[in-house]
Amino acid sequence: MTATASPVTRPPVQARSGGFLSRALSFLFTQEVILFLVLVVLIVLVGSANPRYVAERNFINILNGNAYIAVAAIGMSMVIISRNIDISIGSLIGVLGTLSGTIAINGYPIWASWLVPIVAGALVGAVIGFLVAYLRIPAIVVTLGLLSILKGGLITITGGAWITDLPSDYFLAQMKSPAFSFLGLNVPEIPSPILLMIILTILAAIWMRYSTTGRAIYAVGGNAEAARLSGISEKRIIMTVFIINGITAGIAAVLWATQLSIIQSTVPAGLELQIITSAVVGGVSILGGIGTTVGAMLAAILLSAINSALVFINISPYWFRAVVGVLILVTVLADRLRRQRNRASERG
Amino acid sequence: MNRKLLVGLLLGVVLVLGFALVMPTAAQDRWDGADDLPVNPLECPAAEGAGEASPAEMSMPEYDGGQPTDAPDLAGQPIVLVDVPKLVGIGYFAATTLGQQQAAEELGNVTVTTDAPTEANIDDQIAVIDNYITQGVNGILFAANDPVAIAPVLTRALESGIHVVGYDANSEPAAREWFVNQAEFNGIAKAMIDSMVAEIGADGSFAIVTSTFTTPNQARWIAEMQAYQGKCYPELTWLETVEAQEDNVLSFNQATTLINKYGPDLDGIFGMTSVATPAAADAVAQAGLCAVDAVAGAAGSAEDAVAVVGLATPNAMKPYVTGDFAGCVKSVVLWNPIDLGYAAVYVLRAVVDGEFAPGDTSVMAGRLGELQVVNGSEVLLGPPFIYTAENIDGFDF
Amino acid sequence: MTTIRQMDEQNPGAKFRRFLLRQEIILFIILTIAIILLTLGSDKFLTVDNLLNQGRLLTEIALVALPMTFIIVTGGIDLSVGSIMGLCAILLGYMWNPSGPFQWPLELAVIFSLVVGTLCGVINGLIIVRIGVPPLITTLATLALYRGLAEGISQARSVRNYPESFYVLGQGTFLGVPTQLWVVLIFVLITAIVLSRTVFGRSLYAIGNNELGARFSGIPVGVYKIIIYGFSGFMSGMAAWIFVSRVTTTRSDMGSGLELDAIAAVVLGGTSIFGGSGSIIGTVIGFVLIQLLKNGLALAGVTTDGTIVVIGTVLIFAILINNYIQRRVSAGK
Repeated sequence: MTATASPVTRPPVQARSGGFLSRALSFLFTQEVILFLVLVVLIVLVGSANPRYVAERNFINILNGNAYIAVAAIGMSMVIISRNIDISIGSLIGVLGTLSGTIAINGYPIWASWLVPIVAGALVGAVIGFLVAYLRIPAIVVTLGLLSILKGGLITITGGAWITDLPSDYFLAQMKSPAFSFLGLNVPEIPSPILLMIILTILAAIWMRYSTTGRAIYAVGGNAEAARLSGISEKRIIMTVFIINGITAGIAAVLWATQLSIIQSTVPAGLELQIITSAVVGGVSILGGIGTTVGAMLAAILLSAINSALVFINISPYWFRAVVGVLILVTVLADRLRRQRNRASERG
Repeated sequence: MNRKLLVGLLLGVVLVLGFALVMPTAAQDRWDGADDLPVNPLECPAAEGAGEASPAEMSMPEYDGGQPTDAPDLAGQPIVLVDVPKLVGIGYFAATTLGQQQAAEELGNVTVTTDAPTEANIDDQIAVIDNYITQGVNGILFAANDPVAIAPVLTRALESGIHVVGYDANSEPAAREWFVNQAEFNGIAKAMIDSMVAEIGADGSFAIVTSTFTTPNQARWIAEMQAYQGKCYPELTWLETVEAQEDNVLSFNQATTLINKYGPDLDGIFGMTSVATPAAADAVAQAGLCAVDAVAGAAGSAEDAVAVVGLATPNAMKPYVTGDFAGCVKSVVLWNPIDLGYAAVYVLRAVVDGEFAPGDTSVMAGRLGELQVVNGSEVLLGPPFIYTAENIDGFDF
Repeated sequence: MTTIRQMDEQNPGAKFRRFLLRQEIILFIILTIAIILLTLGSDKFLTVDNLLNQGRLLTEIALVALPMTFIIVTGGIDLSVGSIMGLCAILLGYMWNPSGPFQWPLELAVIFSLVVGTLCGVINGLIIVRIGVPPLITTLATLALYRGLAEGISQARSVRNYPESFYVLGQGTFLGVPTQLWVVLIFVLITAIVLSRTVFGRSLYAIGNNELGARFSGIPVGVYKIIIYGFSGFMSGMAAWIFVSRVTTTRSDMGSGLELDAIAAVVLGGTSIFGGSGSIIGTVIGFVLIQLLKNGLALAGVTTDGTIVVIGTVLIFAILINNYIQRRVSAGK
């Protein structure tokens, strides 16, 4: 019975069959809905213990805090769905953020300091994609090597000097969209990281669901052989996925660099694990083929909300990481149970 | 199928149970530097002048450092040193490196290279030092990630005839000859608490953002701060201490969470590292809670204002002291890390030249003049320096 | 595998050629070139003292990389090894601590920490096998969980001042060779034999090649997986024991980042990350090469940040060269 764990036997999400009821049930139990419910429960519980947790300001800070992680998780989700992985992404964000700050303090136009990192990210993504797709080196090996190269290279070049004295119009992440009216509703001003996170996530989700290339990513990750037979160029898809990942890493890097008045010009420790965690907790299967960017965004928000909640309900910070570990496990277990249910209902 | 479900459920229950068990014991609202070492709070400001003993006049313990075996006599000759700080890539150690280079240039017969891991990791630091022992340098300058873990490799350096001098973060005394102490723990604690009280009053409440609980210096400072606060300002409320690694985004998020959590009940935040303090100031500025509000449009009132006091380098703090957010931060506590690196090189040179030996009570350190020996085998840089709006623009590091 | 063997029997020349182009041989050639270059870089490099000392420093990575080879051969991965090492180190000190709550004898504390390490690995295995969570996610979660437990139990306190006899393992020598290097040697021999000469070892390859097929051919896949993850936990405990003995203190952040070093060694050693191929000898060459690069470059005057750039580049290029040659070999077949 344990054979169900094998990737071969797992049915792709799209292939779900059954009556209306089971379809409704399986919608209710999608990872996105579960994550959303967990988020709501967390907010209600912590909010009732300390009403300041649900104050507008904290709410926005929670959304804002992990927005750059959510943006990076978009590309990471695609990479993982295509059955690859990128563990160099934390280092890449550190390097691109430093690049952005360096451009800004050297008198170049501000738009250049926002755009160049994104282009550079796409280039790095193309290199990774080339090594993985055409030279057939496993992605984990390429990015493990790249992680060292980027991390060491950054220190060698910058000597670890912080970037200060950034121009005052550089701070993209601190900007807010102007308040605007939408369908008669008064939408308050939203910080740009939140806006970018939501727009990019929705765009990516639509693209992945409805475009030919987007669907091909699932096909490559789900069953590479079948994808090849149906005329999908696996190499081209892998290149595309890594380039997109580089672009979202670039955007994340700009958000990361522009939120504070200092850029540390080092690689943020453990960032890659946070991004990968967001993607997998969001329902992206590490075995490829399934998951959505919406789930990854919700997971990034959930992790940020947990971070904040632990301070609010006075959990000793000593136990913080243990709690995070338990929560990842619980989410994943819920995911497994859901899938078993689905499978059971398909058979029944 | 059923069995699998059952196992899953069981595991879930176990995890939740474990979680529930952990929760009550975990409900600990603050942390006060749990290293169990004795504290030695200084006199309160009111009692000052009532004969506060300067460190050198206190009963001087015996020299407790180690000595290299068969170190070659290189008095007056060129020497090659390696500097191994906790990590490379943070502004603070870039400043100590700068000071070392200045000293090397002045002396003319010293070469210093800085090499350290990219993360503050004890194992990597040990490996780096080990390699330089094999390479055969004349002296090692270090800032320890862990005082005990680094001791065996330093002892090995001494046994190989290499001179060893620490700065910033000490090792066990016997594993090095001298330690250049930037400021005594209780002196830092006093300066921090006094600066905070000057802003929020003796009955305010504050929280702390530190790197990690396992960082020895920060743990000592916090322990001393607690002792000093208990002794001199019992009315101060210590709300909580949070960890934020050496990561400025995390420090910012933690400080923001503290601001949101305590709202008007929070009067001040201490930043315990050169990373945490500017990030905390950023959090206060972006929340519009600066005491003197220079930011147009932000609604900060004096009652809600959150003061930030902490250890930081001047360049990182200028925006909040004299720059765009002027007045957000009034005082930054720090020794001068350039002087610290500078002094470390001078001490090592003096040791090699035979001008500084166990039992001496002072050492000459170039432009810094005469530095006192304290606690047996430590060279004291001086009292902590407090940067304010008046003097901060005179510093560039 | 059988087909290749049959072919070899028919054609001894091809057998020799295949031997020459085996991954381990190619790696060995890369290692030799590296050693020659590093020797030219510094006359301090190729000395017995230095090499033995490097042996001391590579022990922890080596001990963890050996079971990691087993796991990667089955197509799995274990990211939690560094955290298990941290937890074991903390427990060792916490249980023994003469002024702590337990005050156990040191031997008992060591055994206890090894048992807990094994248990941590078994829990990983159970979640992977019984619940069907992929290894990467499982161990990503327990990476956080075990490190969190270490931090929670230690409350940031370190335990020091062990009896002098405890330091023999981490700092002493036996027959002129660092004590822990003997431990590494023993485990290298055991794991090499197990992987290449036993039914259990061959089953691991089978699992990595085709898990479903392995299951149908009667291999107890679940049990075997739990055993190797448990073994990985045990070895992390061993690494903790030796590390504490070497650095004379316990800290909850011990072993952080160890997982990536170990994986790099295994992958550099030619073990395919997708499972199904690899060898202990390759892994040994992998961790030796990484350690010698770190050491030799430092002796030649390259700083740490430059060294990790070189190691990253070597990792990618070694696999690239290997891939190229293997493809040529299979094309020529």
